Amino acid sequence: MNARVQRLGGALLTLLLSGCAGSQQQSSSEALEAARSSFQAVKENSDVLRSAPKDVIRAGESLARADRLSSYWGSADDVSHYAYLSQRYSEIAGQNSALSLNQERAAKLEMERQRLQLALREAKLLSVQEQSNWLEEQIISLATSETERGLVMTLGDVLFDAGQANLKASANRTVLKLVQFLQLNPRRVVRIEGYSDSRGDKLENLELSRARAQTVADVLIDLGIDSKRIEVQGHGESFPVAENASAMGRAQNRRVEIVFSDEQGRLGLAR
Amino acid sequence: MINRFSSAALLLLGLTGCASDPAPTEQLRLTEQALAQARAVGADEHVAELVMAEAKLLQAQSAMQRDAFKEARVLAEQAELDARLAEARVLTQKSQDQLNELNNRINRLRKQLGAL
Repeated sequence: MNARVQRLGGALLTLLLSGCAGSQQQSSSEALEAARSSFQAVKENSDVLRSAPKDVIRAGESLARADRLSSYWGSADDVSHYAYLSQRYSEIAGQNSALSLNQERAAKLEMERQRLQLALREAKLLSVQEQSNWLEEQIISLATSETERGLVMTLGDVLFDAGQANLKASANRTVLKLVQFLQLNPRRVVRIEGYSDSRGDKLENLELSRARAQTVADVLIDLGIDSKRIEVQGHGESFPVAENASAMGRAQNRRVEIVFSDEQGRLGLAR
Repeated sequence: MINRFSSAALLLLGLTGCASDPAPTEQLRLTEQALAQARAVGADEHVAELVMAEAKLLQAQSAMQRDAFKEARVLAEQAELDARLAEARVLTQKSQDQLNELNNRINRLRKQLGAL
């Protein structure tokens, strides 16, 4: 616009200026008001002042400049510009403040998480020690076998609530062994695969198998295993290990398998 | 800073400010840096401010080629702050996600402790 104005004669200049500046004046004063109220909000927020003082100061400086320019005729564009910058600085200050509040909160929660993790580990150990031997014998569905997929551990159906994804307390022993194994073998990763029998809805079976695998993964993560070391898959009715005709066969098919990588962290291909 | 003041003064005096604005090369560099930084923390086309910043930087670059230095500076200054806001938004969102995940884990731990 300025370049055009320059080419025009002096008499026209004033006319043109007042003509085109009218609507710009209005939008620039709106921008100025918006910037002012944004600045007011961050200035009065003690969290923002504490965590992003520089951005608040810059928002104030830009606003002051826009204010100063607004008293001059024909500077609507500059007013809008500095109002825009001020608004942005206020927004950046707000975001930075939210960020540091989140970080403070995360640090506290992380300590809480570690405390609970420790408590859970101790509680599980205790509950394992309290379990009577005959019960242990019953839940030793814990079986590890060397297959073409690598080392595979099977968690039987009895470790889960019937038809549910929740692990029973009787799974604690197995889970703790798993955690211990993974802690002693920090480079190994696992793929947790859920399977179901063929009764009922195919899709529901798939979902349940996946949910059960995820539950096992969650428990491992809760007990301190890095989530990056864990893959989760649901296979539903696929890959049965027994026929689905008998109750016993179906119970064998309802399982969660844990496939271990080799010591270098290489996992066999997913099914 | 002084340049901005003097150019503003010149503009008011005779609207000759446009011709006397220096080329905002340094500002363009700052803007490019801010954009690179925003992208580096993971800002992409889903963040509205990043899209704005990129569009304004392109406009600023084309204004530079036309020697419209004031226009280039205005656009580049706005683009820099757009990019910085995009970066701040992405970082805040990430910290929020992290908080949510921590809360999930804590809830799971509490539930398990309660079940024992």
